[in-house]
Amino acid sequence: MTGSLLTVDAVDAAYGSARVLHKVSLRVDPGEMVFIAGRNGAGKTTLLKTIAGFMPPAAGAVRLEGRDLRGIRPENVARLGVRYVFQDKRVFSRLTVRENLELAAHPSGERMSDVVARMLSIYPAMEKFLDSKAGGLSGGQRQILLIGRALTGNPKILLIDEPTEGLAAGVIDDIFRLLSEMKGRLSMLIVEQNLPVVARLADRVYVMKEGKIFQELVTRAEIEATGALERNL
Amino acid sequence: MITTLVYGFTIGGILYILSIGLSLTFGSMRIVNFAHALVYTTGAYFLVVALRTLGLGFLPAAAVATVAVLPIAAGIERFIIRRLYGESLDYAIIATYAVLLIGVDLIKWVFGATPIPLSDPIGRDVGLFGISFPLYRLMIIALAISIHGGLYLFFKRTIVGKIVVAGLEDKDAVRSLGIDVDRYFAIVFLVGSGLAALGGVLYAPITSVHPYMGFQVLLICFAVVIVGGMGSLHGTFLASFALGMVIAITGRYWGPAAETMVYAVMAVVLIFKPLDV
Repeated sequence: MTGSLLTVDAVDAAYGSARVLHKVSLRVDPGEMVFIAGRNGAGKTTLLKTIAGFMPPAAGAVRLEGRDLRGIRPENVARLGVRYVFQDKRVFSRLTVRENLELAAHPSGERMSDVVARMLSIYPAMEKFLDSKAGGLSGGQRQILLIGRALTGNPKILLIDEPTEGLAAGVIDDIFRLLSEMKGRLSMLIVEQNLPVVARLADRVYVMKEGKIFQELVTRAEIEATGALERNL
Repeated sequence: MITTLVYGFTIGGILYILSIGLSLTFGSMRIVNFAHALVYTTGAYFLVVALRTLGLGFLPAAAVATVAVLPIAAGIERFIIRRLYGESLDYAIIATYAVLLIGVDLIKWVFGATPIPLSDPIGRDVGLFGISFPLYRLMIIALAISIHGGLYLFFKRTIVGKIVVAGLEDKDAVRSLGIDVDRYFAIVFLVGSGLAALGGVLYAPITSVHPYMGFQVLLICFAVVIVGGMGSLHGTFLASFALGMVIAITGRYWGPAAETMVYAVMAVVLIFKPLDV
């Protein structure tokens, strides 16, 4: 575990009396793109929420560069460099695209011109929507805005929940291209059910089932055998 | 009829100044804050103190009374409201209603229960369409419109306003950007409380100051918030003036039903636009 950026160590989490995570352990090394695969209800989103501080672990520990994140409020976890991109393409729909970025820039103090430039570098077509309400964006554009927003302030790791869920095939290609470009430059822990995307991008895959890590796939051969992966979901 | 309309606009202006804080508090914190009525009542009593004990003129007295309420509002937010974030609505209703009851009893203990009349602070009328109206009431209408414009600019142009707008839509997403959104909601709570106190200050010379004045307007304010949409600036503005007009027009033709008609309108709105809480 030495040298890992993020370590999740035997974490349990529960909604009331219903335990959702059972002794979950994983790690993400610097620059790694790690995927979590699993069926609906396997506990993937709960795991990301627990790492991001939105759910307190009932047992175990989450560490960022060795620092225990337990008891730290989500906004402070984010300030430490853990950026959580929620499921469901949750942009601030009543604000413009530029204002969405402005909010992301506010706590980090990063200059808006730099934030906008980065957004346009990853998705130039966003320029014509900068002053439009974010609620009017398509699902793919929303996802790209969310990733652009999360990149503000030099985060250490992105937690991305189902980035291609509900998107058309062409838009998934855009997201795939964006993630490919980011690969190696930033650590990412991504929940994804699109197995071809997982197979092509992952440095490591954790398969979750019923709140537990069921399998860890590390070698390219293991990861690219999506058929085997599908059977295990 | 024009007199009735001006009266309706005056009531609407007061209702807006009072209700907007309630609406934003519910929209942002999901807390039904009965203590808002205490802040309103306290503002009116502080005005009495500033006018009669400190001997100030109306404008400085109004400013002092409004500002003096803020530490009390901050205390309510820090020690009561903040502990209720994320809890069931019932807890907030019980806790803030208890604060209101305790506060009203304290007011009775300090000031007594006898209503205190205040005179029109301007005492001048202006002619409009051949009819004379108290200038003070027209100024309340103008002030309410100005406050709405100011709040609109605040939410549209300032980073604090944008954070609150985003937080009203998705609090967790704002937190995930590293923003302590509760701190900004607390600012909104204080702004809303300041406006509630201002509402009490402005309405005091029209009615009279007594410990139960908050109870009277509280339920009407909730009706405004429900009709206008919780957390909606424009909705609350329109609903305030619409319901103010309902009170004025019903009061002109059937006095006893004036307030009842407000709840009839609220019921119709609830039938077609149920609450989403």
